[in-house]
Amino acid sequence: MTDLTASEPAPPARDREALRRWLRGYALLSPALSVTIAMLALPMAALLLLSFWTQSGFELDRTPTLANYAELVRPSAEPTVWFGIPFHLAYPVPAILMVKSLVMSLMATLAVIALAYPMAYFLAFRVHRHKALWIILITIPFWTSYLLRVFAWKVVLGFNGAINSGLKALGIIDKPLEFLLYNPGAVVITLAHSWVAFAILPIYVSLEKIDRSLLEAASDLGDSRWKRFRRITLPLSAPGTVAAALLVFIPTVGDYVTPTLVGGPGGTMIGNLVQDLFLKQNNAPLGAAVAITMMAIIALLVALFLWAIGYARIRSRRL
Amino acid sequence: MQRIKFIDRMAAGRVSRRQMLQAAGAFGVGTLVLPRRSAAAEVLTCLEWGGYDSPDYFQPYVTKYGAQPNFSIFAGEEDALAKVLAGFAADVMHPCNYSVARFVNAGVAKEIDTARLSHWADVFPALQSAEGVVMDGKVVMAPADWGNSSIAYRPDLMPPEFAADPTWAIFYEDEYAGRVAMTDNEMAIVIGAMVGGMPYDEAYKLEGAALEAAAKEWGTKAVNTAKFLWTDSSEVQQAMASGEIVAAYAWNDLVANLRAEGVPVELAVPKEGMFTWFCGLTLLNTGKGDEQAAYDFIDAWLSPETGKALIEGSGYGHANIKAFEIADPQAVANMGITDPVEMMKNSIVFKTPTDAVQEGFNKVWGDTKALKY
Repeated sequence: MTDLTASEPAPPARDREALRRWLRGYALLSPALSVTIAMLALPMAALLLLSFWTQSGFELDRTPTLANYAELVRPSAEPTVWFGIPFHLAYPVPAILMVKSLVMSLMATLAVIALAYPMAYFLAFRVHRHKALWIILITIPFWTSYLLRVFAWKVVLGFNGAINSGLKALGIIDKPLEFLLYNPGAVVITLAHSWVAFAILPIYVSLEKIDRSLLEAASDLGDSRWKRFRRITLPLSAPGTVAAALLVFIPTVGDYVTPTLVGGPGGTMIGNLVQDLFLKQNNAPLGAAVAITMMAIIALLVALFLWAIGYARIRSRRL
Repeated sequence: MQRIKFIDRMAAGRVSRRQMLQAAGAFGVGTLVLPRRSAAAEVLTCLEWGGYDSPDYFQPYVTKYGAQPNFSIFAGEEDALAKVLAGFAADVMHPCNYSVARFVNAGVAKEIDTARLSHWADVFPALQSAEGVVMDGKVVMAPADWGNSSIAYRPDLMPPEFAADPTWAIFYEDEYAGRVAMTDNEMAIVIGAMVGGMPYDEAYKLEGAALEAAAKEWGTKAVNTAKFLWTDSSEVQQAMASGEIVAAYAWNDLVANLRAEGVPVELAVPKEGMFTWFCGLTLLNTGKGDEQAAYDFIDAWLSPETGKALIEGSGYGHANIKAFEIADPQAVANMGITDPVEMMKNSIVFKTPTDAVQEGFNKVWGDTKALKY
């Protein structure tokens, strides 16, 4: 036996080195990986499993079935009309809320980009001293809890809130404006404000990385300021902008805290339905199915969006 | 302060395993990673309505144990039930006569041994044996508080015609759109059906196609008319104080609280009827707390001192007869009717729907809200 082991050729040093590097890579990754598995993969698996069960009264029926998913697309002869769109579904609520949430999130995302881009631009091109201080200033809203920021909007938009009392004091209105709070618009405003700081940083990083000599070259070759922005700055900052848009769009679709607090009866989103199914209607399996479907739809939309704008092309151009 | 002290003690190694577990449990990690503690060590956990977590309502318990129990606040009984069924370990729940059956049917309630409650003898005899207190010959709820659900309104902002002939119809009329607040509860459909002429006895047990039709007609109207659907009473009180809304589905405490603030507000007696409810404490079998502590908590709720605080603070009635003897006579006079039996004769007592009916209502109400735009 000893002879055998001795006669075996020693593994080449290169292989051992590769293995060591591979192990070290995973060792470095392991804290993050274990957290991801424990906090994301396992709950997701549980959710997926739950969505194949059904609720009967107070009990869970653990026979695997696709009934929950079938319920979401079960057709009905009589359409439910929502905003002029006919939904030929027997249970149209999830579909309608999905569409509504996507539209609201899209509006919030556009608002966020519109707000964040100029700020990031200013930070990247106009601020030369104390950049770190500026960046810290931008994150100040994050020093308070998300809930407090949402509540602050309730105070700003409210019946006796800052906007209404201000306008009243100026004599512009004599009755408080009632359309400010408790509607989808209030949700979009609040979401836009809550997420804007998340968008500034990626856009800023993209803008900061742009080689200034390209801009100079464009100017030297006769580009106007606007043309220079359109042909150089905008395309080169696209990866950051796209990342920011996704960073805002994906989490806001499923948000339920903001609609609960400022949305009123008309501002509900798909997240509220999931919460309602889990916590009020006592139908966790259906809630899980709605949540999984929502995730699949968002993933699909994001993939389509990236494909449509040619994200791979944008990325390769940067290199 | 508490936190810093804890970290200091932990660093000095003066934290026992039990305290450490308790702290871990507060972050929800205890049960997952650490061995289970013995049952006796657990602090009592109570599922309670917002506002009822004030120590005024269970002072004898605080005196005996030196601390308050843990509270989890719910907006409606169905929320609380879903939470318990999802695994939340609560010892005591505060349901009402019309909702306690849900907990019993779900198998999470246990019988109350009234001999262990020192104040039981002073409870109104009619309440001791009322439907909802006793189920299948077992006491499943110790009645504690009772009151009304009706329309609270601002007499200075509502037209005098309403005060002359109050009606629930205001929650379903365009004229009041954006100026009233309904409760976020399927009651909106039941009351709508009553406005449409159906008696309560039929409306509370609507099912199937009739329920869908009622939800489509009255539920949608209620959701569209309401400025918001309220889930916590401070929200509706603030809106009413500012004049944002002029009328709301409310309980007696809203009127008492706003009057104390100097806001003019009245509780109407609508022509379709005013509702009476009585609520109480139910022992849950899901808890990990000490059973004696749970009994002490319930007994504290039944004490006349708690009744005095309820009557004077909220304008609610109490189950203990003696409470009315020690409460401020002016507060008692303000209540009007102080005998729950008399009150129930003059109003609609909430009834218990079957589980199937309740689940139907939960679903259509959730769907109705979701479809509003």
